[in-house]
Amino acid sequence: MNPYPEPEAFGDLYESLSEILITADQIQARVAEMGAAISRDYEGCHPILVGILKGVFPFMADLIRTITIPLDVDFMAISSYSPSAREHGVVRMQKDLEEPINGRHVLFIEDVVDTGLTLNYVLRHLQNRGPATLKVCTMFDKSSRRLIRIPVHYKGFDLPDRFVVGYGLDYREMYRNLPFVGLLKAEVFQPGKKA
Amino acid sequence: MTSDNSYPVFSHPIEAEFARILDYYGVHWEYEPRSFPLEWDDKGNVAIAFTPDFYLPDQDLYIELTTLRPKLVTKKNRKLRRMNELYPEINIQLWKRSDLRALMLRFGIDDEAARIIGTEAQTEE
Repeated sequence: MNPYPEPEAFGDLYESLSEILITADQIQARVAEMGAAISRDYEGCHPILVGILKGVFPFMADLIRTITIPLDVDFMAISSYSPSAREHGVVRMQKDLEEPINGRHVLFIEDVVDTGLTLNYVLRHLQNRGPATLKVCTMFDKSSRRLIRIPVHYKGFDLPDRFVVGYGLDYREMYRNLPFVGLLKAEVFQPGKKA
Repeated sequence: MTSDNSYPVFSHPIEAEFARILDYYGVHWEYEPRSFPLEWDDKGNVAIAFTPDFYLPDQDLYIELTTLRPKLVTKKNRKLRRMNELYPEINIQLWKRSDLRALMLRFGIDDEAARIIGTEAQTEE
């Protein structure tokens, strides 16, 4: 039983979807399983969970409430590639970690791993800070377009190579608040295309 | 990025954008570094070869980009199948038009995404 409104209650956001791929109940059940596994694996380690804003925050919030061992949480923000960001040439750190991670057991939390470009950049960055261990936990995995091989230690769901939104995944900053994951209708991101 | 930090002459604008994305995230790449012979004539000369667009040395991965509409990709798919037969040890990814469009949309590069979509192409998918 999840505490969220029914999908239809999300109105236009829901109407923009052609299909719900993963329900809120399925997500919450899987998050609980992942939290239990992390609690077992990191017993006595006092891990620090690190996420990149913004997409990860719903997953991070749900996940940490299913982990039963002491932990710390920290966030980073980096500039994504964009028409304006590309003028700078390289990724810029917009918000760095507030806690040192050298010697710590770091679990990097992602909403989705697709090409691996961002994750690869961040993991290199974190590895240079000397953590005791550095592992990856992602809610969603779109492996079909993976450019950079990255070991994923905890994974929630595989996603198809389609335009999906919800549970932190956005299109133009919208849809992150959906507690489920759905396929975005083509006419939303391809103006002019008929349904 | 190339070893001397200069860009080669790309044959398509999408290749330049792809290279900028790789550079942005610090991924080393080479442009068309190798051709793979696929067919030979009676005298043993290479008749058909395939030259993937990019090579990522750290990943040992070749990448071919295409903005062709799906029904026009047949020839390229045939070459890739032949590649897999002759060079099974080579890792290669074909990034189709829809993949590239999704990548451009993800990064908010609407002009490039629109160029990939094209008016006529919208009726083909």
